[in-house]
Formats: sequence, structure tokens, C-alpha cells
Amino acid sequence: MRITAAPHVVTRLDAWTRASVFLRSFAIQGSWNYRTLMGGGFGFALLPALRRIYADQPERLSEAVERHTQLFNSHPYLAPMALGAVATMEAAGEGPQVVERFKTAVRGSLGTLGDRLVWAGWRPVCLLFALALLLAGAAWWVGVVAFLVVYNAGHLLLRLWVYRLGLREGKGVGERLRQSPLGNVQRALPVVGAFLVGLAVPAAAAGRHLVAGGAENRPGGPWIVAAALAVIVGARFGARIRTPVVISLLAFAFLGTLVRILS
Amino acid sequence: MTWVWIAGIGGIVGLDATSFPQAMISRPLVAAALAGGVLGRPVEGVAIGVILELFALVILPIGAARYPEAGTASVAASGAYAMTAGGVVPDLLLLAIIFGLAWEHLTGASVRLLRRWNEWIVADAPRRGAVSAARLERLHLAAMAIDLVRGGVVSVIGAALGAWLLRRVHPLWSMPGSVVLGVLAVSGAAMLGAALPLFGGWKSRRIAFVLGILCGSLLLLTW
Repeated sequence: MRITAAPHVVTRLDAWTRASVFLRSFAIQGSWNYRTLMGGGFGFALLPALRRIYADQPERLSEAVERHTQLFNSHPYLAPMALGAVATMEAAGEGPQVVERFKTAVRGSLGTLGDRLVWAGWRPVCLLFALALLLAGAAWWVGVVAFLVVYNAGHLLLRLWVYRLGLREGKGVGERLRQSPLGNVQRALPVVGAFLVGLAVPAAAAGRHLVAGGAENRPGGPWIVAAALAVIVGARFGARIRTPVVISLLAFAFLGTLVRILS
Repeated sequence: MTWVWIAGIGGIVGLDATSFPQAMISRPLVAAALAGGVLGRPVEGVAIGVILELFALVILPIGAARYPEAGTASVAASGAYAMTAGGVVPDLLLLAIIFGLAWEHLTGASVRLLRRWNEWIVADAPRRGAVSAARLERLHLAAMAIDLVRGGVVSVIGAALGAWLLRRVHPLWSMPGSVVLGVLAVSGAAMLGAALPLFGGWKSRRIAFVLGILCGSLLLLTW
């Protein structure tokens, strides 16, 4: 029997089912692979809703499980939006083609938005905030705890907000997302990030993060100048500088051995 | 007990990186601090974590990109240092960081191997028979369990190998402590500068960046 669209769509999914889907969304990348990406995780997270919707229809449940374990990708923190929307659409009796088209349409945009907002925005900003605290002389655990608390406050709020948005809006969630304040946040984060990089530069150049190496060994004037120049080179070349710096450190380690052998 | 701690922290860190729950326990700063903390060297753990974090900051896990896994490598580096150093030793700090930067490529390879394995056990599962809801749950949880074990194993092997290497190399190594920390400060500063392009680079963010430097300099002078 086909489930027809109902006016009170979300009420069909009880609070327990909605909470189960949300909690499972934290494990959406648990079986990440190169073929279906997070497809298996999407099906796994959606299962409580599918079991509820197709409670007395084992064949339709199997068919839905098969559909929802196909290729899917998104940013993991924004995937709950797709899960919420798809749960609502399934509960409303939307046809498999409509649900599939929706998933195909959102996966690219959710991935791009999340990558910019979280991976290239919120996460480095929170890490730089923690690094700035440590460079300012905060106790070791303060920086670590501050990072985890601040970062995860934003992380959990984002997940919860997008999930509820998905549940409420169903297939119309894309339009609501475009009207959301996430764009403003996305524009503000790079400014804060650049400020925090600048804030950390003087202390990092002075070797404040190396107190564990002993105060008597703290780098002196020439090293501070070299570090300031290194910041400029780093800012010019970005991530491309990583491999040369690692190789330089390895070369320095060999040099240290050579010095010992020759002396 | 040390190995149990390293395996436990490594497992959690490995799982957190991708599978569950991505709460950033797997960041080098947190992972190295945790490992150093439980092994009695929290300050050195954080010092290792800060440098490895600066190197990891510029790596973005976008799409199916292949990248080193810094979290479990940080546990290994911090663990190796804690098991080798009896106190503050700048040389060992540097060598542990270099080891961490090398080991993260192996841990990254283990992640790629796991993803291939997941392809076989989860993505290929329909070829071996219908995937029921219960079977999907079992396969997904099995993949997560394997990731947990993987994290623990690469951390323990890394810490053991790292400690062995540090004990071997350190007696053959000689550099003044100030030079060692100077090199670490310069490399850390280069990687910190490399984070600026993440936020748009010098051209579009120079005002915020310079303002930050001014505030940072003022704070440094008032300490």
C-alpha cells in the first residue's frame, strides 16, 4: 500500500525516531568508502525513520534500504539536513525518483557549503583561538579544553539546526538554506581567522609555544627575525610550503647526526 | 598500562577523525596533549601538538582527497617522547615532531586501506546478497569497529617504533638546544603564515592580519 502525502508529515515520526536519526547522523561516515562515499552511513542513519515509516511493509523497507545506501556525499555536519528532509519526504510518501533527485541536487551544495563554512572556516578559527590562548601563556589544558568546548558548541548547534530545518522543510529545504544567515557567518569567519593568524604571529615568532624546551633555550633575536621572514614566505606560498618545510626539518635532523659524527 | 593508554587514545582519535563523531579529539593539538597528559608529560605533549597542529592546519579533508592522518601520528609522537625523555629535552622534542610528520603518511595509508576494505564489506555487500536493515547495521558498525582498532594499532606501533628510533638516534645527534628550538620556531612560523591563504590571503585580508599582528605585539610586550 502506498503511503500518501499527509498534512501533518513530521508528526508521523515520533520524537524517539527523530532523535535516533539525529544521533546516528554522527556516525554517517562510519563506513566511508571510495565507491558509495557516505552512502552506507546515510542508510544506517535513516534506518530508524525507515523502520517507522515502513513498519508493516518489509519489502518496501528493503527497497528503501537499498535506495538509501547508494552513492551519497555531503559535509558530515550538514548531512543531517539531507537526512531530515529525506525522512520527511519518505514519510510524506514522495516517490523514489523525487527523493533520489533531491539527494542528487543537495549533495554537491551541502558538501561545498560545509567545506567552506567548517573545514576552511570554523575549525581553523577555533584552532587559532586555542593556539593564541596557549601562546598567550594559558595552562596547557586551558587551550585544549577551550578549543573542544567552543568548536563543539558550534558543531552541535549547526548539526541540530540543519537537522530540524530538514525535518521541517522537507524538499523545500534548499530555498530556506539560501535565506539562512550561514552566508553572513561564512563571510565573517575569514576576517576573524586572518586576525587570529596575525595575533598568533608575534608570540609564535618569539617561540612562546616552545616553553617545554626550557626557558634557557628560548630562541634569540636572529631566530625571531628568521621566524618573521618565514611567516611572510608561508603567507605567500600557503599549503605548498608544507612539504619543503618537512623536508628541511628532516635535513636538519641528518645535519645533527653529521655534526655529532664529525665532532 | 602505557600501551593500553596509547591504544585506547589512538583508537578514539582514529575513530573521531572520520567515522564518529568528528568532535576534533583527533586534532594533533588535542591528541598529543591527551597522550602526553596520560603518560605524565602534558606540557611536552602540547608543545608537540602545537607544532603538528600548525602543519595540519593547512590540510583540508575535502571530498575523496588523500591526506595524512595527523591525529594518530600525534598520539604516536607524543607517546614516543613521553616514553623516551626523562625531562625537558629539546632535541627529543624535535625528533619526536619529525617522527610524527613522517608517521602521519603511514597512518594516512591505513585510512585509505580501510576505505578500500569498506568498499568491499559495505558497498559490495548487495552483490553477496540482499542488504536487510539489520545487515546494514552490522556492516556499518563492523566498519566503525575496524576503524577503532586501526587507530589503536597504528598508534601503538608508531609509539613503539618512535620510542625505539628516538633512543637510537638521540645519542648520535648533537645540536644546541637554542638552535633546535629556533628551527622549530621558524618552521612553526612558516606554517602559521601558510594558514593566511585559508582565509583569503594577504590581498583580501591584510587589514585584519596586520591588526592581529599589532594586537599580538602589544600583548607580547605587556607580558
